[in-house]
Amino acid sequence: MASAEFSPLGRQKAPTEGPSKPLDWRRLAIYAVLFAGVLIAVGPFLWMISASFMTLSEVNLTRLLPEKLLWENYATALRRANFLDIELVTDPSSGVLQSFGVSGYIWNSVRITLITVVGSLLVCIPAAYAFARMKFIGRNFIFALFLSTMMIPGIVMLIPHLLTVIWLGRLSESIFGPAGAWFNNWPALTIPFFASVFNIFLLRQFFLQIPDDLWEAARIDGAGHPRFLISVVLPLSKAPIMTIVTLGFIGSWNALMWPLLVTINDDWRPIAVGLSNFVTADTPGDLNLQMAASVITVMPILVLYFIAQKQFTEGIAQTGIKS
Amino acid sequence: MDRLIAANYMLNTRRGRIFIENLTAYIFLAPAGCLILLFGLFPVAFAFFVSLHRWRRFPDEYVGLANYEKALGNLGYILFFWLALIGCAATLMLSRRLLRRLRETKLDGQAAALLAGIVSGYAVLLAIDWFFKLIPVIMLIPRQVRGRNTSLALFMEKFGESFLSPGVYEAGSLLIVGLLAAIVIVSVVLRRLGAGVGGEVIVLSAIVTALLLASVFLLRLTIHETELAIAEARGAGESLPIWSQLVFISAGIALIAGAYVIFQRGIKALENRRFALLSLSGLSLAVGGYLLMAEAPAALTAGDDDLLQGFWVTIMYASGTVPVQLTIGLLLAYLLFQPIRFRAFFRMVYFIPYITPFVATSIVFRIIFDAGQYAPANRMLTLVGIEPQRWILERTTLGNLLGLPDFLAGPALALVVIMIYSTWTYIGYDAVIFLAGLGNIPGELYEAARIDGASGWRIFRHITLPLLSPTVFFLSLVAIIGTFQAFTQIWILRTGAVGNKVNTASVYIFDELQNSNRYGYASSMAFVLFALILLLTLFQNRIMGRRVFYG
Repeated sequence: MASAEFSPLGRQKAPTEGPSKPLDWRRLAIYAVLFAGVLIAVGPFLWMISASFMTLSEVNLTRLLPEKLLWENYATALRRANFLDIELVTDPSSGVLQSFGVSGYIWNSVRITLITVVGSLLVCIPAAYAFARMKFIGRNFIFALFLSTMMIPGIVMLIPHLLTVIWLGRLSESIFGPAGAWFNNWPALTIPFFASVFNIFLLRQFFLQIPDDLWEAARIDGAGHPRFLISVVLPLSKAPIMTIVTLGFIGSWNALMWPLLVTINDDWRPIAVGLSNFVTADTPGDLNLQMAASVITVMPILVLYFIAQKQFTEGIAQTGIKS
Repeated sequence: MDRLIAANYMLNTRRGRIFIENLTAYIFLAPAGCLILLFGLFPVAFAFFVSLHRWRRFPDEYVGLANYEKALGNLGYILFFWLALIGCAATLMLSRRLLRRLRETKLDGQAAALLAGIVSGYAVLLAIDWFFKLIPVIMLIPRQVRGRNTSLALFMEKFGESFLSPGVYEAGSLLIVGLLAAIVIVSVVLRRLGAGVGGEVIVLSAIVTALLLASVFLLRLTIHETELAIAEARGAGESLPIWSQLVFISAGIALIAGAYVIFQRGIKALENRRFALLSLSGLSLAVGGYLLMAEAPAALTAGDDDLLQGFWVTIMYASGTVPVQLTIGLLLAYLLFQPIRFRAFFRMVYFIPYITPFVATSIVFRIIFDAGQYAPANRMLTLVGIEPQRWILERTTLGNLLGLPDFLAGPALALVVIMIYSTWTYIGYDAVIFLAGLGNIPGELYEAARIDGASGWRIFRHITLPLLSPTVFFLSLVAIIGTFQAFTQIWILRTGAVGNKVNTASVYIFDELQNSNRYGYASSMAFVLFALILLLTLFQNRIMGRRVFYG
């Protein structure tokens, strides 16, 4: 009797208790609530996409679907919001491409994202490795010091960051000339985010799980720490690196407050600032174009999310629980 | 050649290997360490320093606590008193630990170790002093070289000069003397006593010295500033009751804290004493509350109304969103945890609002909650027969719209829209993390409860919820800190028509920074906010942490 209760079969039966009628109602209610949740979660997105194809009056009247798909909304929005501008200069006689220029907020955001993610990996991987797999004086103290910076709210850091960036920018301008400026240039938008304590923490947790046998074997083969890091640890760490890349991408794609402070023109202004300026500048403006611009902003993130969904959810959920 | 072999030999010994490992580790850490120092740790001290000055892009005169007074009125001074007192209390606790350590070890040459600690603690303070005398001078370099033909040589020349400028030079020479003395004494003591115990005594006494001097300095600064302010008010023919306010407000808070302690004792006490303790607790709470209610508003009158409004908005924002989003998130996670199909699909979809750019989704909400008669939200209201509302343009409060009395006014309708938005974004995040937490609860517990005949609700109440409490704790902390940091949604969803009704404290600080470039004042407000967040975190740790069950 008792053994039957604890058998795997009995355990599987327990939650469903056979196909009786009241339970079906219960499951139906669960599905109803969950689907209502889906509707609330994606409803605004669906309407955003739908509205981006409408005429202005259709948006103003809150039609659910456009009468005709106005694809030109996207072209207009791209141009009006200065999202992307590709300039191709071809030789008029031969048609050969002579020069090629890209500008606009999307291009800026892509550049900023790339620099931030690459720089962050270059800075964080060695640091995380040192914390996870090396013994040195003051390791716990330094790690605690690093972690303590995560507690400080961003608004406190804003002003000193700004002052530091201005000062360092002046210094680098005096070395590299005008191209070395920090303010309203890529360094102000990227370098402060290279040393992300969050990334270091994430990588460290992963590096800690790599078995010591691997290190012993590598050491017998004559490899030091740098070699071991590059040829053994990194190939194993694709998962956390992907998580960092995706989170870094979201972070710089969404960044608004800091870029608002350190950019003064469109040379390096990222997409969130561009979109925000586009929308707040013309009120009550062309809502359909605003929606098209929003769809353009959302799409890269959504595509990335559908591709790398595992990294997103598990990365965020795991670190959430652990920190 | 011989030397090379010798060097190779050296590095192959145990000591050599340890040295190499240390060196490699520091090289690995160097880039991250420098950046975190520059953009993580240094800014906190620097922001505090800025907050004591008038500072618009470039350093201006030292103004003491004036920025804090401007932000919070007399409460600014009172806060600094508390800070200094906390410093003194921490010093006391640490020195007791130091004394205990000294008694336990009974080393020879304890006095020498103490002296070494005191000297090095003083040297640390000298270094801080020198650093913050140097910083404003260095910060001025960009202005001095502006307009001229900037070159590295010019920059470096100015940089070198700043070390020799008056004030900095004296502090620097003092620092060098102090450092040399500290190094000599510490190395002598360490050689005599050994690194283990001697090192601990030195470190502890250094910390005690530095903390004590810093707290005394802070206390003196505060008293000086307070007296200055009182004298100034007297000169203008007014009275400034900072001292009495300090006493009354501190007493009020102490009484309320005491009430909490007595209450905790009371519910555990025996029957005959319980009533006495509980009524004492109630009395203490009432008196403390009365003192606070009577004195705090008066202390705050000279403060910045917009900042206080910002705090009030933040409080309403947090209390309106956090419980709602946690409850719905938990409900969804619980439903998702049932044996159902498409779980991965639901989880994926619920997460979408959280990961998409807030700018874009805020814009959608801006259009949904537009004031127009045919805007989506108003359409839905008309469907159920309610008047269209002005939503993001509405400064009238929710309570007033519902016809409630004024003290139940609550948030402006425009703020309600922002609250709906942020609930919408965070529910999915909460649900996903709750789901992970639910997955960590061992299945045997449910089974045991079911065998014992527990019903669904009782299982939830007595097994799921307690075992989930760390997750609840974590998520509520994240959510509350998140409301303090909320920026994007407010930036997009606010309109000129609602004025400061939707600006949280951090948004107001940002405005102040961007529009009027008052860095010193903005820093002081940011610090007040920081202190508040820290206090809230500690408080929550203490109150909620006690109820959290770590399985």
